[in-house]
Amino acid sequence: MNVPATLNVNGTPYSVELDPHMSLLDAVRTVVGLTGSKEGCDDSECGACMMLLDGKPVNSCSYLALQADERDVTTVEGLADGDELVPLQRAFLEQGGVQCGFCTPGMLISATALLRANPDPSDDDVRIALSGNLCRCTGYDGIVRAVRGVAASGTDV
Amino acid sequence: MGAGTTAAATTFIRGDGKEKVTGVGRYTADLTMTGMAYAKFRYTDHPHARILRIDTTKARAVPGVVAVLTQEDLPDVRFGGLVLDRTLFAKDVVRFEGEIVAGVAALTEEIAAEAAALIEVDYEPLPAITDFVAAMEPDAPLIHPDWASYERDEGMVASGNTISYSTIVKGDADAAMAQADVVVKGRYESDASQGVPIEPRAVLAEWRGDEVTIWSSTQVPYAARAGVAQTLQIPEANVRVVVPLLGGGFGAKCDLHFEAQVAALARAARRPVKLVFSREEEFRAIAQRREGIVMEFETGATRDGHLLARKARLVLDKGAYCGEGGFLGQMAAMHACGPYQIDNVFVESYLNYTNHQPSGSVRAPTAPQVCWGLEQHMDEVARELGIDPVELRRRTVIEKGAEGPTRQIFDEVGIKQTLERAVEMIGYDRELPQDEAIGVAVGWWPCMPAPSGAYIHLNGDGSGTIVTGSQENGSGAVMAMPTYVAEELGMDPHDFTLLYQDTAAANWDMGSCGSQTTFNSGRAILAAAVDVRDQLLDAAAAELEVDRGDLELAEGRVRVKGSPDRSVSIASLAEGDTIHGKGSGEVPEVPTGDTGGCVGRLGNETFLAPQLITQAAHVKVDRETGVVRVLKVAAAHDCGVILNRIGADGQVTGGVVMGVGLAISEGTQLDEEGRQRNPHLLDYKLITCSDAPEIEVDWIQIPTAGAGPRGSKGVGEPPQVPTAGAIANAIAKVLGTQVRHLPMTPERVWSASRGVEG
Amino acid sequence: MTRSFTWAVTVEDALAAIGSGARPVAGGTDLVVGARQGKASLPEAIVAVDRIASLGGIVEVDGGLHLGTLATHEEIVANEVIRERFSALADASAIVGSHATRAHGTIGGNVMNASPAMDAGGPLLCFDASATLRSEAGERTVPLGELWTGPGSTTADPHELLVGIEVPAPKMMTGSAYVRLEYRRQMEIAIVGATAVVTLDAGSVTHARVAITALAPTIRRIPEAEAALAGSDGGDEAIATAARAAGTGSSPITDVRGSAGYRTAMAEVIARRAIVAALARARGEQVSIPASAATRGATA
Repeated sequence: MNVPATLNVNGTPYSVELDPHMSLLDAVRTVVGLTGSKEGCDDSECGACMMLLDGKPVNSCSYLALQADERDVTTVEGLADGDELVPLQRAFLEQGGVQCGFCTPGMLISATALLRANPDPSDDDVRIALSGNLCRCTGYDGIVRAVRGVAASGTDV
Repeated sequence: MGAGTTAAATTFIRGDGKEKVTGVGRYTADLTMTGMAYAKFRYTDHPHARILRIDTTKARAVPGVVAVLTQEDLPDVRFGGLVLDRTLFAKDVVRFEGEIVAGVAALTEEIAAEAAALIEVDYEPLPAITDFVAAMEPDAPLIHPDWASYERDEGMVASGNTISYSTIVKGDADAAMAQADVVVKGRYESDASQGVPIEPRAVLAEWRGDEVTIWSSTQVPYAARAGVAQTLQIPEANVRVVVPLLGGGFGAKCDLHFEAQVAALARAARRPVKLVFSREEEFRAIAQRREGIVMEFETGATRDGHLLARKARLVLDKGAYCGEGGFLGQMAAMHACGPYQIDNVFVESYLNYTNHQPSGSVRAPTAPQVCWGLEQHMDEVARELGIDPVELRRRTVIEKGAEGPTRQIFDEVGIKQTLERAVEMIGYDRELPQDEAIGVAVGWWPCMPAPSGAYIHLNGDGSGTIVTGSQENGSGAVMAMPTYVAEELGMDPHDFTLLYQDTAAANWDMGSCGSQTTFNSGRAILAAAVDVRDQLLDAAAAELEVDRGDLELAEGRVRVKGSPDRSVSIASLAEGDTIHGKGSGEVPEVPTGDTGGCVGRLGNETFLAPQLITQAAHVKVDRETGVVRVLKVAAAHDCGVILNRIGADGQVTGGVVMGVGLAISEGTQLDEEGRQRNPHLLDYKLITCSDAPEIEVDWIQIPTAGAGPRGSKGVGEPPQVPTAGAIANAIAKVLGTQVRHLPMTPERVWSASRGVEG
Repeated sequence: MTRSFTWAVTVEDALAAIGSGARPVAGGTDLVVGARQGKASLPEAIVAVDRIASLGGIVEVDGGLHLGTLATHEEIVANEVIRERFSALADASAIVGSHATRAHGTIGGNVMNASPAMDAGGPLLCFDASATLRSEAGERTVPLGELWTGPGSTTADPHELLVGIEVPAPKMMTGSAYVRLEYRRQMEIAIVGATAVVTLDAGSVTHARVAITALAPTIRRIPEAEAALAGSDGGDEAIATAARAAGTGSSPITDVRGSAGYRTAMAEVIARRAIVAALARARGEQVSIPASAATRGATA
């Protein structure tokens, strides 16, 4: 039986009725209709589905949607400031941190979580924090450069 | 740096970037349609079996099921590349674990899965042939007993389970070997591995009358279109394949891949139908993996390091079907020669059917594994000769005027420069701790000539639309095209948008494979730009009443050379919407050689404008556990003139990290029936951000005969070719012995260090 | 069958739901991944326990620890008391999954998942921790060594909820470490793991615990290794003997991650590294957390 709940996604409350087994990823993609977060695996290895839940990174494919009831969910669609890209998004593009783009939503979320928790990460801090987000295109170079560049610029994330 | 200068873009914001970083861009799995049903496949229960009975009655009775199909419902035709050996759904016999017996479409995924499970199939299990060397023994059961009746390319020389036998022959290798001061032999074996794009594939099909539109996560929309047309027996004109954003491919999304099954389900269901693969299906069911190879090398050299003879015998695991991978054996044979000057060559290569997942093009197919074996073998030759491995390569790699393995004569080749540069970047001669070492490997990859076509429409407001059949896999090769067109026309790249990866829009294109997007599609686009340029010059010459030859295009205007105030804007010339360019350009020809002695010639006997690579790897080995950390890779490449430095560097960093994975962690493990034992990312280990080495990249930019647009060559596949070989040579230096099995997992490294074959 | 989902606000709510057949879920990192991998389908009735405030927190009690069942790996790694005095536990929590897993994965969920590859399990076992299980019928305390009976199975009753883990105070001069064999630097599952807890007094080892992870159906203490260390000077010979005992005491399987022979050999190597790191910490030397990274490539 579907269970009523409220998902606060990117600051907007959505009243939804969800199957108890539905993942947060499926709920956001199919019920809320935001498809930016991706599904790339089935064992929390790839990180393409990563969202922020009350500010902390979560693999939304392996998190039950109803557990997120009344909590704050942030997806990649919630990062930009209206039509303006935030510095992290710009840096990913400028540094060659985006190729196919499939890992990008989770990667941006993961990097956002890192920079909020640790505004001045070392190269290794960045690499360890992003290890739960697999990228097959870039070799991670452009991504790490982008994250470190934003950290060095001291702008809020 | 080489002699060439570069006008390469050093800042480049990809046109599809904004939709990718904001999450609004759509990949195939993100699409939905009113009334859409969901597809699930019923896979075989046995890797090799005869199908005795299929009963779909129970599946059809499940409420919400809108279509159930088996091969009986479809035209009785086979498909495949050089051999047509497979049907869309299994017919009579299943030959690997991912074989599809039936398809179901239903109103929800859950219903489709439930119905697929209710299909009853009776099998007579057959013995699974999983040893791809034993598969060629005379008494081995045949995987395709009816092979002789299949349509196939005449170049395929086959017998028994060997789908293709190829040789590369030059001179008399046996006689030369007998004259050598030193003869070294080595055997190497590589496991199969996978492309693993992070996007699992998805297909959505919708019919309008007799025409079908298919949205697919394919690298090769035109090949998919041809496959759908052929297997469903409809004209290509009735099939439109559109690729939304593509979440990576690396070859794994080449070939016809489920577009036809989904289209058939949609036709039967009279609804749009969508298929989205799980990661496990992406491992098990696709017909594109990197093949396992057993390699035996023998090299004869003079005391001073001159290579008199190379013999090699390669056996490759084709898996159950040909797909587009019929050429793998011959390609492997060319890599067993490598970019070396060798006086006499005899390489033979067997591509064998097994009851495994089919092998196909995964990023530089066959090259990384064969290069891994050959480059270790070359280090063994160097050790035997008492010559430093880099010095041996310095003496033996190809140079201008040298002869290739089939006597093609090379023009300018930058391999020696890449060797010197890579060695310099890594600091080859420095002292290292005992558990660290540096290894070096060289490799090559050909440019792949193919037709392509493009249109450029100038719109009434002076903006332009570039229409190309090329496919963007993420590399940025297509995204960079507005830059080239704008340069040709004196316009701004932002004046242009792209219409791409839609088979209804442009001419046939090879797709994002073979590192040839810039080489072929770029050539076509530049030809179309030249056509537009001619039209603009004609129009401006008439309007300004000057000779065409006195005009130039710059800053959005056509102007008189030397009198910039006499000009007309391109926008005003385009006002009437009459400026449309088209182009294909001339497809370069593959060089000739003395190939008469080669058997099984499929077109790779010579290499057009080879891309040349040296990589040097600095590794640290934990001898107690066998765990290897790759600390740094220095990559120096001759890929001709680099047109987009950020894009090209990104291909190298990505390719090197894939190469590190291939070297130490990525391998498909198979059980005795040919089933994958690690079809998920927990145990098929990709390199994470924290394991990726520091990567230093440089380019040797020299002119090359037969190069593509503006002196460019391919870029995307070479980076993965020598990485594993360089790492292997570094590991061997630390251990004092080779690791002869790829991937060089901790356990295999540990075993080798104890003198046990891994 | 109808699926149901409820949110418990109090332990009583949760126990009532569990008593009528619901399965508790906290961070969901083990349960949902297991279901997605096809190991076990998700339960029909689910009660979310992650909002029960009294089940959270890490509290120092008489020099020991009370870990609320909802304590996350992220909280454990960040806890100064754990880093200083229960370092092996911090070593383990620091290397569980990715930062997303560590942010939501709970110690309680992990313990009840009863995986023989659970990183934090060895440290808890070696610190003589016990699980507090509560049902509507009452509460009982079970030493972790008696809780786990095999992969995924425990002696807990289905109607019981793990409400907390109690860890007694270690003696002065105790050092501990958890080391995992890691093919990659991150995102690993234990293929071989080892924990050591040692107490020094005037240069000799007065107390020792050694456990191995992913080398037997459950995480297992190795009494022979402990005996080799206890009473010794903690020198090379004692360490080597103890490490060998860890190898001998393993009964690994051959699977996709490694052969039994390799794992047995690695049990000795990894156990030695854990013992060496634990002794160093007991002597007050710095071994950074996680010890797996700090001891990587260490030789005997």
